[in-house]
Amino acid sequence: MEMDRESGKLEQIVSQFRSKILHVILNSRVPSLHHHYQQQEPLSLSRVRKSDKWFNLVLGDRAAALENLNFSLRNLLDPMIIDIILVHHSSCSSSVDNLYTPSAAVGSPSDETVIERWVVQYDCARVNATPNGADTSSSYKKTYKKSIILLRSLFAQMRLLPAYRIFRQLSSLSQTYNFDLVYKVSSFSHPFSREEEGAMKEYIFVPVEAFPGRLCVSVTYRTSLSEFNLEPLVSLPSNIITDYVGSPTTDPIRSFPSSEKGFQATSFSIRGARPPSPSPFQRPHSWSSGFHKGLPLMQNQSLAGSPPAYRTSPKPYDVVSPQSDIYGNRIRNRLPTLQQATAYDEYQLSPPFSASASPSPPAYLSGANPVVAHHCSETAPVTIPFPLTGRNSFYLSLNSSDPSRHSLPPLSPRSSKHDASSQESPSGIRSYRKLEALRAGESPSGLSINYSAHKMVRDTKDDSGRFSGLLSSSGSPRIGFSRSSSRLSFQDDMDDCEFSCPFDVDDIDVSDSPASQNVEGKKALDFTAQSVPVGKKSQDAAVGMLVHMLRTAPPLRQDPSCYSTHSSKTVGYEGGVGTASGFFMPCKTADALEELKSYREMRDLLLSKSGTRVVRKEEM
Amino acid sequence: MNCEVCQLKELEVEHFEIREVLRCILHTIVFHRALGLVRPKDVDLELFEITYVQCGDVELEKKIDERIDHFISWVEKHPNKKSQICLSFYEVKSKQPSWFTNKTERLYWEQWYVNLNVTQHPKHHSSKSHHAKVVVDPGESATEDRSSRRAMVEASLREVLFQIIKFVNEKKDHVPPISDGVIYFPYEITIPSSSDSAFGMDMIKRMLHSGHPTMLS
Repeated sequence: MEMDRESGKLEQIVSQFRSKILHVILNSRVPSLHHHYQQQEPLSLSRVRKSDKWFNLVLGDRAAALENLNFSLRNLLDPMIIDIILVHHSSCSSSVDNLYTPSAAVGSPSDETVIERWVVQYDCARVNATPNGADTSSSYKKTYKKSIILLRSLFAQMRLLPAYRIFRQLSSLSQTYNFDLVYKVSSFSHPFSREEEGAMKEYIFVPVEAFPGRLCVSVTYRTSLSEFNLEPLVSLPSNIITDYVGSPTTDPIRSFPSSEKGFQATSFSIRGARPPSPSPFQRPHSWSSGFHKGLPLMQNQSLAGSPPAYRTSPKPYDVVSPQSDIYGNRIRNRLPTLQQATAYDEYQLSPPFSASASPSPPAYLSGANPVVAHHCSETAPVTIPFPLTGRNSFYLSLNSSDPSRHSLPPLSPRSSKHDASSQESPSGIRSYRKLEALRAGESPSGLSINYSAHKMVRDTKDDSGRFSGLLSSSGSPRIGFSRSSSRLSFQDDMDDCEFSCPFDVDDIDVSDSPASQNVEGKKALDFTAQSVPVGKKSQDAAVGMLVHMLRTAPPLRQDPSCYSTHSSKTVGYEGGVGTASGFFMPCKTADALEELKSYREMRDLLLSKSGTRVVRKEEM
Repeated sequence: MNCEVCQLKELEVEHFEIREVLRCILHTIVFHRALGLVRPKDVDLELFEITYVQCGDVELEKKIDERIDHFISWVEKHPNKKSQICLSFYEVKSKQPSWFTNKTERLYWEQWYVNLNVTQHPKHHSSKSHHAKVVVDPGESATEDRSSRRAMVEASLREVLFQIIKFVNEKKDHVPPISDGVIYFPYEITIPSSSDSAFGMDMIKRMLHSGHPTMLS
């Protein structure tokens, strides 16, 4: 019985030893995991979790990837082989396409070199002499003590091996390299070629007796890594994403820097971790929660390198976890096979890396560790450099013309979802409040800049056609009701709002006919003259916000007097029909028809005052 | 219990490098002998591209720094001398108290000798540099000589660290059991006395027996 108890303890020691070694090695070789460790608040030792106390070496929480790896390598008798692979990406693979289409990365040229191979094995081949009863009880204690010492020496040695320097360089936040450090954990390994062996050296840690076997750890490492010219990437020609939509939490574009890091290509370790997606940056959803975590990556990436959607949250393994399942599965599937994986598979085994900057860079060689992904969700403002194209020049001119419009309003995810996914949007009241925040100039978002750039251009060209342009771009008749006093109040508030609502109002009054455009333009001009200086973009934004608000507002009472009051407010501001009654879905068809009728009346009233009767074809 | 002794490879250092080199070596040794619960802390040397590991214990760090300060003071008084710092780990054993002996006894089970050859250093750098942050020796030697020399010292220091790891791995049986709540084994850092060690020890013994004050150089 006691023997069984002892053997159980030994088995536990062996199992935990493997896990701990894996944790130590990956923390010291995988930048993302290292950043995760660094970001953890240093708790007092008394508050350390029990699982972290094994071998009296507190390493912090394990990333989910490690947990899955541990699970997949539960067989204690199988060796655990950890390959640290240096991946060199060729320069041509730094295109946007490769980022968007990870599958393309499979074929992209890259060199992979195993720079370290750690082998951890519980060797039972050599049967030790059976300890007597007195020794048995203390054997596991000695094993545990010696395991602690071995782990200490392994921990210290990891910092002395050549790969550590590369790890620190690649962990740098301030630099982006075309190299990545990835890892592969398996029970099998492809033997090194003679040439590789010649460049490597082996160090074998003294085995720790763990009856009936012993714990063996060895490392084969490349003695020199100078041949890998780890040069930081210089500015590369950027491939501008014309309809790029940034994060709503990012600051507005203050400048269009040429000295920013924004033109650096991305690290391609990220590619491997991005979930394949045909169009991952569809504009309306680019600020959705999953992608949002990855947005800070954009800071140090060129516009060509659109940000992979991860590696920015404080808990990178939140994003890693999907991959960790993949890693786990892949590892299990690969156990019976040799290292025949493709490059892409190799990437899939590695946690995602990021090369983007972080607001809080720890320093080593080149000054910063990239914790790209691990940094807090409160990321530094993104400065998205724009080339002075025709479309964007409008924004620039707007900016330059009106210094007060120095910031873009943050395009909140909710406020920006004015399209068909209105059900997901919060109430109009919240959107309105968001707009108020926008007016304050808080963290304007680059989100809308590019998005509405083409609309902005149109607006500049034809002031009169501003709203018409906006309105006509959308096919939704609902938006037509945004021309209301509510909208006007938005516009009053959003002095500096410069983003345009991507959900263009499709006002039933607005048509493509020149007459209507002239009328609309006149109204628009009037509006511009009378309203508190509102940017053209703010009006568009107001339209969108208003639409959203109206759509999500609770149904109003069917009070005609209410409509007439609102209609009077809208007079003189702008043509078109709008209603302050809100934009809601009538409960009944009759209500809807009545509502429509009231709208028509209001429209006619407005048009009549403008002196023009517009006959529009009803689409409802 | 055997007392394992490890003589580390001699390092030729300049005065301004003493602090960093000693910190690196002493903390590395203690880290391997701090078998209690620790949260390791990576420390990057400023003068060399080496990262070593500390236990993260503030008290330990203070004590080591204090001993290093004493050593540097000694070096300033004895320039151009080979010196040795001894880091010893011991167990405290109680014994029968007597008139001449304490009731506790230290049983040393491991001793590490750090051998340094401090090369001559201009006096104007000696007084304050070791108290202030490590400053790169402005020196007037050629940059190439300096960098090659720096590289040699770094390589030697790396060798010493590997030597420590090797020794720690090879010799484990003599390490006492780990006590609960204890982070690191009791240790002491011995620096050279104000004179030659043998002479210093003799003087101390003479003082104890005769009680006459003796001027020490």
